[in-house]
Amino acid sequence: MLFQTLKRYADIVFYRTIAGIKSEGRQRYLGYLWFLLEPLLSTAVFYIAYSQITGRGGRDAVLLILIGMLLWQWFEGSISVGAGSIKTKFHVLNQCNLPKYIFPLVSIAVHTWKFLCVSVVFFTLASILGFPPNIYWLYLPLLFVVQLLLIISIALPISIGVTLWADLQIVISSIFRLFFFISGIFFEVKQVPESVREYFFWNPMAVLIDSGRSIILRNEAPSLQRLGITIVITACFLVFSFALHARYDKRILKLTNV
Amino acid sequence: MSELAPIITLQNAGICYRPLRSLFTKNKKEIWALRNLNLTFYEGEKLGILGRNGCGKSTLMRVLAGIYELDEGRITFHKKNLHVELLSLGVGFESNLTGRENAVLNGMLMGKSRQYMLERLDSIHEFSGLGDFFDYPVYTYSSGMNVRLGFSVAMETDPDILLVDEVLGVGDKIFHEKSSRALKEKFTGNRTVVLISHQPANLKSLCTRAVWLERGAILAQGDPGEVSKFYEENIHAYTK
Repeated sequence: MLFQTLKRYADIVFYRTIAGIKSEGRQRYLGYLWFLLEPLLSTAVFYIAYSQITGRGGRDAVLLILIGMLLWQWFEGSISVGAGSIKTKFHVLNQCNLPKYIFPLVSIAVHTWKFLCVSVVFFTLASILGFPPNIYWLYLPLLFVVQLLLIISIALPISIGVTLWADLQIVISSIFRLFFFISGIFFEVKQVPESVREYFFWNPMAVLIDSGRSIILRNEAPSLQRLGITIVITACFLVFSFALHARYDKRILKLTNV
Repeated sequence: MSELAPIITLQNAGICYRPLRSLFTKNKKEIWALRNLNLTFYEGEKLGILGRNGCGKSTLMRVLAGIYELDEGRITFHKKNLHVELLSLGVGFESNLTGRENAVLNGMLMGKSRQYMLERLDSIHEFSGLGDFFDYPVYTYSSGMNVRLGFSVAMETDPDILLVDEVLGVGDKIFHEKSSRALKEKFTGNRTVVLISHQPANLKSLCTRAVWLERGAILAQGDPGEVSKFYEENIHAYTK
């Protein structure tokens, strides 16, 4: 029975995800193309700013920024939409007995799908621009799984938090802006001063973005030590977030005024 | 009543809403929607619940459906894996998806597997009377068509305990007759049904027992005819 219930939850997440993707595709004239255009557009903006300020341009800069932007948009998009989804699906949760993590997971899965679509285009582009697949690409699935788990482990606690205190939403958007600037999205680790470089890598997103670059652009294995630390941090967050959801699952709706 | 087996028991049940506070309002109120409620639901019975707005009827339904956890007291389910479901109409429809797609997704939210819903799509389609619109996106629907679809899906999700919150028929005249007939059929079998209604006539014709809920506790219970008579005679004494 427990298995059947979990199977049903997994089905809900899976089919709601497909529905969410279809639904987004039908919303705009360009439909699914926006999955590709949106990250390219923001990359173009940053590339223009970056090349004008640093005077460095060309294909390396484009790919550098693209890797940072794609990973970051997957991260931020999933979390900001996923964390708000208990609130937006309040009327459903008030009628149906469902675990509250279901709708955040659906939003995360939709964003993950978008990321996977655009990453296929990215890999093609990288190959054309002179960075063909190398043996270290075998690390990429590991990298993606770690980032997916990191996203889940951050989105779930925030989804509870913003439902209980709407104030948190404002604080969190500022924190995201901060992390956007310190995760190395439009600059490289070697541009970070030596003295703060160790602190720089305490940030899991900085580790993931740099790992992606070392695999694709530098043709070398990612630092397994840093990746290992990131995995441990993520695992701790995950345990915490499911514990938090277990604690609040049946009471959160009584404590809010959505 | 004695030969019926209990299926859910509430002992001293209490549910408390704690609204969010803000720095600039001194709202520290706790709202006890249910308090010291002792109530047993029996297998196969049709229980009607009466009470004025805000007396805790809908909160009680959410407790039974497993959406809320009690703040006080105990709830005991006497059978394992009971499927308790609140009758809801079109909750969580995605406007960009078709009626067919929404029917399956909606049924899954209400505790059924995808396979189960796929097998019943034809009867949902037929019952809803939506015709070609069944394959149109839901945003093209009128509000009446929306409840038609919602109701048709809800009729196919067959829970062990059905909770009905005042919805006894929906839509235009034709669908209203059809839907209330279908819903009333749910009261004839062995299924346990809990009905909230403000219509004494419905309680009398559909229920085997009635409860008057007031301020989160029971004021009277027993035969539906007697309880609704008592309710109508005394309701004004409690609304002052």
